[in-house]
Amino acid sequence: MLKKQRDTQRKSSYDFYLILATVLVLFAISLISIYGMFYFKFAQIHQMSPAVKMSYMSRMNSFVAPFIMGLILLLGICVPKRLLPTLWLNRLAVLLVAGAVLAGVIGGVKTSLLLILGTSLVLQVIVLVLALGGSKNLHFHKKGYWVRLGSSLIHLGLILFVLDLLLYEKKNLHLFLFWITTGASVAGMLCCFYAEAVVGFINGRKQASLGACRGIIIVTKN
Amino acid sequence: METGLQGMLPIGIFSLGGSVVMAIMLSLAGIMVLAAVQNLCCAKPVYQKSSTVILGAINFLFMAGFLWICWFHWQIYLKLPLELPDNLIVWINRQLEMMNKSSDYGMGLYNAASPPRYKIPLWIENEKYYFWFMCYGMMALMVHFRLQSHRFRALLHLFLAAQIVILYFGADPFSSPLPRFFAEIAPWYSPGQSLTAKAGYFMRLYPKMVFYYNAEYMWFHPPLLFISYSAITIIFITSVYMLVQRDLLVEKVGYQYAKLGFFMLTLGMLLGYPWALKAWGPNWWWDPKICSSLMMWAVFSTYLHTRLYANKKSMWYFTSFLGILCFLAMIFTFLTSFYFPGEHTFQ
Repeated sequence: MLKKQRDTQRKSSYDFYLILATVLVLFAISLISIYGMFYFKFAQIHQMSPAVKMSYMSRMNSFVAPFIMGLILLLGICVPKRLLPTLWLNRLAVLLVAGAVLAGVIGGVKTSLLLILGTSLVLQVIVLVLALGGSKNLHFHKKGYWVRLGSSLIHLGLILFVLDLLLYEKKNLHLFLFWITTGASVAGMLCCFYAEAVVGFINGRKQASLGACRGIIIVTKN
Repeated sequence: METGLQGMLPIGIFSLGGSVVMAIMLSLAGIMVLAAVQNLCCAKPVYQKSSTVILGAINFLFMAGFLWICWFHWQIYLKLPLELPDNLIVWINRQLEMMNKSSDYGMGLYNAASPPRYKIPLWIENEKYYFWFMCYGMMALMVHFRLQSHRFRALLHLFLAAQIVILYFGADPFSSPLPRFFAEIAPWYSPGQSLTAKAGYFMRLYPKMVFYYNAEYMWFHPPLLFISYSAITIIFITSVYMLVQRDLLVEKVGYQYAKLGFFMLTLGMLLGYPWALKAWGPNWWWDPKICSSLMMWAVFSTYLHTRLYANKKSMWYFTSFLGILCFLAMIFTFLTSFYFPGEHTFQ
């Protein structure tokens, strides 16, 4: 009992530090975005040839890539934290970082990003399935079936969005992924932010269909 | 504006009706400012009932003005079709077919039985400010009923009054309606043009009509963002208030609007993505407006993440600070369109 309590407390502070780390990464992405804006203006990129524009875009991509990887890595740690005890979580985090660095050295940034995204996607799908089944083994900061489901969907949306950005040249796959991303994010935000309304809506529909069934039975009896 | 266009559209009536609405709204805003300043300075609430009535009246006027704008756009739809002379149709359709072959997203061919018409969204040029501030007015009315603190209400009212002043003096959508749009289409309606000039104008106006004015994304992407901007203004006011007073109900209301704002912002930004690909191709990424929107989204996400721990004392102030930063990031993102070049520029 005591051990379980201690583990929960440790996970809570783990959550807090993960959120702080996420805040830092988001802050860094914000700074890069501001740099990009001013560079675009003062280097007059909009008046340059398409080749110069492309090189500006790929340079900005290379600046932001480590932070996007950091964000996805954090997500990669965030996702299994719902599944695993702290010790295994640390091991997995180290394994993910090592795998990402190795993939980066061997195959470049894109391969590394694909590896992290793939791993996160698989883990997130597992979490989503468990959340959908109402598993009690998942650890979330917030309680409630719909909030957990919503949170899982939002994280899935974010992973898919980065994957979609990476694969934007493959037009058909890109649009397919985009609409899945949008669907998952919207459904996730609805479940997460408006859990009570979702429950009310579903209960209302259930009651309405029960009422309709009762009405049919009464009519049939008469 | 071209006299030709003035004869075709009821621009005078539109401007007159709109200016009456705007003048009444400005007067009400002036009275509201007086009441708000008194409430901010006094320890006890004053003129609460009058303020509620004025706020309701301003919202009613906003709605009336918005319906007036809808009617004007309907007139544009009915009275300004892009009609081609018969002897140009075959040539234009051949040009369009050639353009469609070399592009991922094509344009419909010209059909003489149903010529293309402008379905202009209700949030372009100065109308976007009108829509944005109207959304804020509605939210301010809802928050006004939720929270009883007279000082908080006074802040809400002062912000609304400031927005009405900006609208009246700097962005009135009625006094000179849609100036850019009319400047663009005026040559098309000027008399005595050669066939070549007519064809040239059509090839300039039609793609912009398809990919901008009549684009289906235009009905979702900008309004969702303006709703989120209004919600962020509410977050800003709650955050400023939280720095002064530790009021849990204010924090709760702020969070409710943060959820709404984040939802609208994320969905709005996502829906801009396929539209950008359709209208500009793949070379729009890292455009200054995209950068600043990304920055704003990152700040907003940070705010929502830290808010989970807002009950910790230090995090309470940090969350409030981030709420204020969200608003500043939103203003910065909006002003980006004026200062930075790129696809979203208003320059």
